[in-house]
Amino acid sequence: MMRTRALVFLIVFCAIGVGGARAATAEAPQKLEDQPGYVPLAELAIFSRQELTTEIDLEGPLLHLVGEATRNDDPEFSKLIGDLRAIRVQVAPTRGLDAAKVRAKMDETVRWLEAKGWHAIVRVKEKGEETYIYTREVHDQIVGLAVLSLEPGGDAAMVNIVGRLDVAQLGRLGRGLHLPQLDHAPSKDREKHPD
Amino acid sequence: MPRWDESLRCEEALALLEPLIDGELSAAEEARLRAHLERCPACAAEWKLAADIRSELRALPELDCPPAVLERVFREAAHSSVVPLARPRRTNDGAGSSRRPFWAALAAAVLVALLAAGLLVQQLSRPRPPSAAEVERATAEARFALAYVGEVSRRAGLDLRDDVLRKHLVLPAARGLSQSLQQSLGPEAQAPAVPGAVPGKGRS
Repeated sequence: MMRTRALVFLIVFCAIGVGGARAATAEAPQKLEDQPGYVPLAELAIFSRQELTTEIDLEGPLLHLVGEATRNDDPEFSKLIGDLRAIRVQVAPTRGLDAAKVRAKMDETVRWLEAKGWHAIVRVKEKGEETYIYTREVHDQIVGLAVLSLEPGGDAAMVNIVGRLDVAQLGRLGRGLHLPQLDHAPSKDREKHPD
Repeated sequence: MPRWDESLRCEEALALLEPLIDGELSAAEEARLRAHLERCPACAAEWKLAADIRSELRALPELDCPPAVLERVFREAAHSSVVPLARPRRTNDGAGSSRRPFWAALAAAVLVALLAAGLLVQQLSRPRPPSAAEVERATAEARFALAYVGEVSRRAGLDLRDDVLRKHLVLPAARGLSQSLQQSLGPEAQAPAVPGAVPGKGRS
């Protein structure tokens, strides 16, 4: 009887300890890969790492610090960055690339985006140049932006911006970066307060 | 010196001394114990010591508690929901009463070890805070990324305002990125200030 009771005590203590440890780790934010606006660049493998001339991979805590660091100098940029979970860019010069292979990979990526519910706002194929801009929306909120670009004689690029993009910010971004289509992006705010 | 006899071992006998003093043993148990004490001088000495302590304690004068204090204690007890502790159960081997502290201590030690391990793992898995130079470089990279989106959209023929974009966004971002790259790579490295033509890899 005494042994059983001691064993029960031990199990309860262990359960409390393990539960506490799990609770501590459960408070960690959702993994980036699980974010709906995340595009698995490594998995889609449009470029090999050897082909890249520019690779940017900024994630949560660092982005928050960037937002903090630019709060006084550039409040709008700071606000935009502060809500993002990741900014990822891959750029490779087309000169050294197998163009057919890159186009095939881009088509594959576009199919992946559309299969995952991404919405195309720009699709341009002209004189060998290809540009695709997609947004991912969850509950009428834009949570991801993907840009695919191929410029013959120039660069091929893939950009993925992960995180909540406020429609007002995105509108400013669209005007500033010349994406008028983004002005028509759905918004809960717009539904609540129609102009 | 015998440490056991045919009927009772010394360890068992010693565990039964206190119940014997308290008069809690059955007649048969008491007879077995006394038989052992007659044969074993070591246990008999323990028994004598325990009996002496008992008698000396009984010889101490009993102090009477003032009736007012007793009355107050009883009154407080009647209003409280204190549950009296169960008297520890004795076992024949006499070892049960000492196991609870051992298991409790073991359980507490395991719990403390688990919590410490959890905290250590959490501490180790926590990423190192970035330096000011890394934040500065990240800022340049973020500006560059947003500017690159603008460049791509411009190339797609959307609402051309190339000069404004280049002047206010692309060039400052490229300059910042180049400066950051130069700082991080050292004075021998030279990074051109044109986005899309940045040599080497940025962050990986």
